[in-house]
Amino acid sequence: MSHEHRHEHGGTPQRPLTETELRVRALESLLTEKGLVDPKALDALIDTYETKVGPRNGARVVARAWVDPAYKARLLNDATAAIAELGYTGRQGEEMVVLENTPTVHNMVVCTLCSCYPWPVLGLPPVWYKSPPYRSRAVLDPRGVLGEFGVALPDGVEVRVWDSTSEVRYLVLPERPPGTEGMSEGELAALVTRDSMIGVARVAPPVRPAAGTPA
Amino acid sequence: MRVLRAQDVGKVLLKGGPARVNEPVSPRFRPGDRVHTRTINPTGHTRLPRYARGRRGVVDRDWGVFIFPDSSAAGRGAKPQHLYSVRFEARDLWGPAASARDAIYLDLWDDYLDPVEVGGSAAAPPDTPHR
Repeated sequence: MSHEHRHEHGGTPQRPLTETELRVRALESLLTEKGLVDPKALDALIDTYETKVGPRNGARVVARAWVDPAYKARLLNDATAAIAELGYTGRQGEEMVVLENTPTVHNMVVCTLCSCYPWPVLGLPPVWYKSPPYRSRAVLDPRGVLGEFGVALPDGVEVRVWDSTSEVRYLVLPERPPGTEGMSEGELAALVTRDSMIGVARVAPPVRPAAGTPA
Repeated sequence: MRVLRAQDVGKVLLKGGPARVNEPVSPRFRPGDRVHTRTINPTGHTRLPRYARGRRGVVDRDWGVFIFPDSSAAGRGAKPQHLYSVRFEARDLWGPAASARDAIYLDLWDDYLDPVEVGGSAAAPPDTPHR
């Protein structure tokens, strides 16, 4: 069979393959040769999460909740249905729950057992989210982890860590930053980062144009 | 053997694979109930992390009835039961060095939980025998 895997991002690798990469290639070749995996289906899967599904979906959910109190109420009451209103449904998002960050409660999400993550709204998890250090320390020392992400919380704020041990998938609704009054839903969505929806970052206020620059 | 074909990828991803089960299973606990996680050490799959075994928490929410992964992963059937969000105070998991304000929430199934005896007398026995 051909060794040209079309999803390999072109070019010759500049470094030797790691043991994991070799194992994945061997498995993929074997499964393909045995007819158990359709390589075109693999490409379609990878393309879906590289170009179609990602954290911009979640950002739209957050921005809608910021500008539309009725939507926010639906989102907190039945996140799966409210997120589906924007067209985001499916695998790893069958049971969505949205956690609202407030001045007194900060939510953050982890999967200590593996890498559970709400795909339809955030795409695939970043490498650090799947790493053993994040998975063990998020529950043991959440404030230390948040500090490393640049989030310093006052002692008075309660930290709630949500360990995704079931099929429930969590999305954090970050606080709307100051200085965003009057911004459109689209402008707000552009401010929302992936990390803020995992709960390891705040949404930064918009960068103001330099003095003398027309707005 | 079912093979996922390229033309079906979009459909399959959108459909998802729900773990919620529409079966009339009674909950053993209600929000606000104090619970004790079981100390178990199964050789197979479980969703009860080691750091939360043998600990006390409070049921925060009842998510409804779900497939029990410990059973389904072992090919022993869905064994549908209630799944709860259970709140553990950080200090009850990690000791006095942890923040008194912070908490960890885990999603836990009925089979992981026992009632905490209140006021020295045994809490009401569960409706459904487990084990």
